[in-house]
Amino acid sequence: MAENDDSVFDPSLLKKKKKKKTTFDVDAAMAEGSPTEAGDNTDKENTEPASYADNVDLDMDDLESFGKKKKKKKKPFNLEELDSALPSDTTVVEPSEPAQEDAVEDSFDYDMDFSKTKKKKKKKKDIDDLVAEDEKEKAEEKENENENQTWGGSDRDYTYDELLKRVFEIMHDKNPEMAAGKKQKFVMRPPQVVRIGTKKTSFANFTEICKTLHRQPKHLLDFLLAELGTSGSVDGNSQLIIKGRFQQKQIENVLRRYIKEYVTCHTCRSPDTILQKDTRLFFLQCETCGSRCSVASIKSGFQAVTGKRAAIRAKTT
Amino acid sequence: MSIQNLNTFDPFADAIKGADDDVQDGLVHIRIQQRNGRKTLTTVQGLSSEYDLKKIVRACKKEFACNGTVIEHPEYGEVLQLQGDQRENICQWLTKSGLAKPDQLKVHGF
Repeated sequence: MAENDDSVFDPSLLKKKKKKKTTFDVDAAMAEGSPTEAGDNTDKENTEPASYADNVDLDMDDLESFGKKKKKKKKPFNLEELDSALPSDTTVVEPSEPAQEDAVEDSFDYDMDFSKTKKKKKKKKDIDDLVAEDEKEKAEEKENENENQTWGGSDRDYTYDELLKRVFEIMHDKNPEMAAGKKQKFVMRPPQVVRIGTKKTSFANFTEICKTLHRQPKHLLDFLLAELGTSGSVDGNSQLIIKGRFQQKQIENVLRRYIKEYVTCHTCRSPDTILQKDTRLFFLQCETCGSRCSVASIKSGFQAVTGKRAAIRAKTT
Repeated sequence: MSIQNLNTFDPFADAIKGADDDVQDGLVHIRIQQRNGRKTLTTVQGLSSEYDLKKIVRACKKEFACNGTVIEHPEYGEVLQLQGDQRENICQWLTKSGLAKPDQLKVHGF
């Protein structure tokens, strides 16, 4: 029986199955822990062009002139490509296109209304729009390679998205090794968690992990015990003995949280940080970007009574 | 155009706004503790004392089909205590019922 319930004790099994990882990296922790964090540069970088294109499509009214310009510009160099890509569409659409193109260009931003009022044309119009969008996207890519200043020729105002894109690209150009481009992975050994008997768990490479994280063992110990809501101590072989049954992935989860809060810099996410105590508060000083911010103190909070009450009473009296 | 420095600033605007907001402030800590065998306890600390915790625990017990109680703690105030691993349940329930926002919930434990 004891064996049996040893093996099954795992509340987190109910939750989503985490894929087995042998190496355990902070980046994964970061991604898991803080999907909304603004510092997630790589994601932003990836999605940004797409959203930019969307915005262009959505903000038709104020970008009308812009879109038109694109269309015109695209014509010369993109047509063959487009023909090959969309042979059927273009053949159908082409005859009516010149007229519509003119109409679009003349009647500024009425092309939305067109499709609404003229039912007959609608079908064709949709195809047209799709084609136009494709064209636009292609043209955009091309143009980005050439230059960012899409507003250069026209006298319209630049939009926020364009400026944002521009600043990102400048940042990339100036320092390509920056975190935005490729993130340096912080890989560490997975914790070795072995159960001792039925009620205790040993965290064998505890001190080794403390060393790789450059943290005081006491600090990590405090955090682990507070989070797990148990007691424990470091024994002679410098392994941590925790009361209660824990599995490796559970400890891993807690470690991830520790790393996120107390190891990686909150600004640049570099793990090259120093934790120092200053007037009862812990400060995290980043060696890479030089930022300094206070981190939450470790509190175990409310602890419910789990042991035998009689034993506790006997101990206190 | 007005000069920003000359605008009057009401320092209590936030406080007044916070009062009629029915979501409480402060973090809600949700913890798990192991008991003997594969049994666990879930504690919810930091719910505002304006709420009737007895009613909340009654609703939780019914919703999660577990037992639970309210414990008075000299330092942490009233603390909910539920049997079993109810961390997911209580998080969803608190947000669904509008007692706390998702970013106020802090789940501890493994």
